[in-house]
Amino acid sequence: MISFAQTLFYLFSAIIIFAALRVVTVRNPIHAALYLVLTFFTTAALWILLEAEFLAITLVLVYVGAVMVLFLFVIMMLDIDLAVMREGFVRSLPVAGLVALVMLAIMVMVVGPQHFGMALYPAVTPHAADYSNTRELGRLLYTVYLYPFEIAAVILLVAIVAAIALTLRQRKDSRYQQVELQVAVERNDRLRIVSMPAEEPRP
Amino acid sequence: MPQYRRADRIHQMLENYLPVLIFIAVGLVFGAFMVVLGMILSPSRPDDEKLSRYECGFEAFAGARSEFDVRFYLVAILFIIFDLEIAFLFPWATVLRELGLFGLLSMTLFLAILVVGFIYEWKKGALQWE
Amino acid sequence: MVESILSLLTLLGFPDWLQSVIIIMLKIVVILIPLLTAVAYFTLAERKVIAYMHVRIGPNRVGPRGLLQPIADAVKLMFKEIIIPHGADKALFLFAPVLSMAPALAAWAVIPFEAEMVLAQVDASLLYILALTSMGVYGVIIAGWASNSKYALLGAMRSAAQIVSYEIAMGFALVGVLMAAGSINLGEIVMGQQGGFWHWYWLPLFPLFVIYFISGVAETNRAPFDVAEGESEIVAGFHVDYSGMAFAVFFLAEYANMILVAMLAALMFLGGWLSPFEGIGIFADSWLAAPSILWLLVKTSLFMFLYLWFRATFPRYRYDQIMRLGWKVFIPITIVWILVIGVAIVAEVGPWFAAGVAHG
Repeated sequence: MISFAQTLFYLFSAIIIFAALRVVTVRNPIHAALYLVLTFFTTAALWILLEAEFLAITLVLVYVGAVMVLFLFVIMMLDIDLAVMREGFVRSLPVAGLVALVMLAIMVMVVGPQHFGMALYPAVTPHAADYSNTRELGRLLYTVYLYPFEIAAVILLVAIVAAIALTLRQRKDSRYQQVELQVAVERNDRLRIVSMPAEEPRP
Repeated sequence: MPQYRRADRIHQMLENYLPVLIFIAVGLVFGAFMVVLGMILSPSRPDDEKLSRYECGFEAFAGARSEFDVRFYLVAILFIIFDLEIAFLFPWATVLRELGLFGLLSMTLFLAILVVGFIYEWKKGALQWE
Repeated sequence: MVESILSLLTLLGFPDWLQSVIIIMLKIVVILIPLLTAVAYFTLAERKVIAYMHVRIGPNRVGPRGLLQPIADAVKLMFKEIIIPHGADKALFLFAPVLSMAPALAAWAVIPFEAEMVLAQVDASLLYILALTSMGVYGVIIAGWASNSKYALLGAMRSAAQIVSYEIAMGFALVGVLMAAGSINLGEIVMGQQGGFWHWYWLPLFPLFVIYFISGVAETNRAPFDVAEGESEIVAGFHVDYSGMAFAVFFLAEYANMILVAMLAALMFLGGWLSPFEGIGIFADSWLAAPSILWLLVKTSLFMFLYLWFRATFPRYRYDQIMRLGWKVFIPITIVWILVIGVAIVAEVGPWFAAGVAHG
């Protein structure tokens, strides 16, 4: 008899594997991206089963909510031609197959079954009622792991600079609203009070 | 005065999140139900003009899916970076009281580095829309 | 009441897990029915309020004073043909409204209506809501793309870029709330505001409060930030090709999101279900000083009214102005204010940040 949690685990795992396969097999790139979203979402559900609450929700927030939105933006705008994409399929099949095999071998070596299993890990102790995953993470991240944390800031800074350097193409002829100038305008810049003699009444 | 008691929480995270999972499923089913209901109840009399895509009554003169201003990508990339920043700020905000001055300084440094990037994008005009 | 249902289910011989699932389903129904009723009547309230602001009467034909109007609208939409345009991606076209509806409803799972009255006892409830709100953008993007129309796609891209921009400002504003409460849980955030009107977070977090609500208006694509629906340029934005029930679902999701933003504002900045008369001598011991769900509903209605008031008052922003407001005004202000609160917490300033308030 398997427990309810195990049922959920197998259900989510099945969805993940199915969705991940669809990502690479489906023809339409938009559909592929949406299957990837489904994969991330169910992965988050698995992480919650592992009691990694904060990371699970952050996975949804960052990957589903932000990264995949960028993916969709790009795919929608590129208007990918499927016929052109499939042209070189047969020609590059051997090389691609080789690369895939090498990657598979590496993955088995690094995350293969010999590293996992009930025997290798002690049973997880359930947390107390007032356990807060987020708070525990905060206690460690900003004290013990301070250097990696600050390095993350630098990496993000590099990402900002790189993104702007790569994508920003300014047109010379575009015109902007300069709000600062509008706000800074004073009465004397726009308005001139002239004193004129009052008009003489007609005779 | 009823206190909000943390001890009342059920012990396992699974039990806490089960209602969330069910609620998401209910949301999906409810939305799908409404659309299906509409499809069943409503008439379906398609004709060529009705199904043509909307273009202010003109004949469509170009494919709908066209290349786009690169600025939208830039917004999306910057959004990812700032979203990550927020994800880093959340656990920090909950434990700031315990960490005290040290925590404040570590986050100030983090924000300072990123504010440099923010100033850079501002000066470069990446936030400028014409 | 839950116990009596449980004992009935045990009598009928349901297994344990099924029992809890049934109880949860019942609770969901108890949340959804008032919510959907509120959504329906919010549309009527919108038309009425704006009508009176325009010195008109508004809908008054269906039922007494037009009170049955939302039901008439629903029935009408139900029997309208759902047109699927040529070249549209049929499956995604029909899936997009579902995708915008599900997060708008599922976010309500973690909203506490009173101390103890919450469906899912999730610790990181605020983060969960932020994550689900960010899912809402998918409905918009997919609808725009699946319609195979230039107008829809343009509208979708505009809305999506706007939604993500304001999500940043909103996220930073939420960080301020977390700092003040020292917790990521909505219930604890409300309990951190105990002590009457002047202890609520709207005062120490005033800039964030204003930014949160304005970002909320922009996130839900409401006036004055409704460029997606700029009637004069791109007609109705991402849902231009939708009709009948498929359109109605988008509409419902938008209004459910508006109510959600209003309720979150009430919970995080106006003390949720706490009474404004708490701690005032004359009201002590009377029901007016007691916390109750009534206060939460009153505060939520206040924000919902603000939505309508905004729509009747402000002219639409131009797109470059929207982006400027989000990136160049709100984000700098929130970052500065986060640092201000940080210093205030470390220095333990005032009644809000004193050491005793922490929930540790």
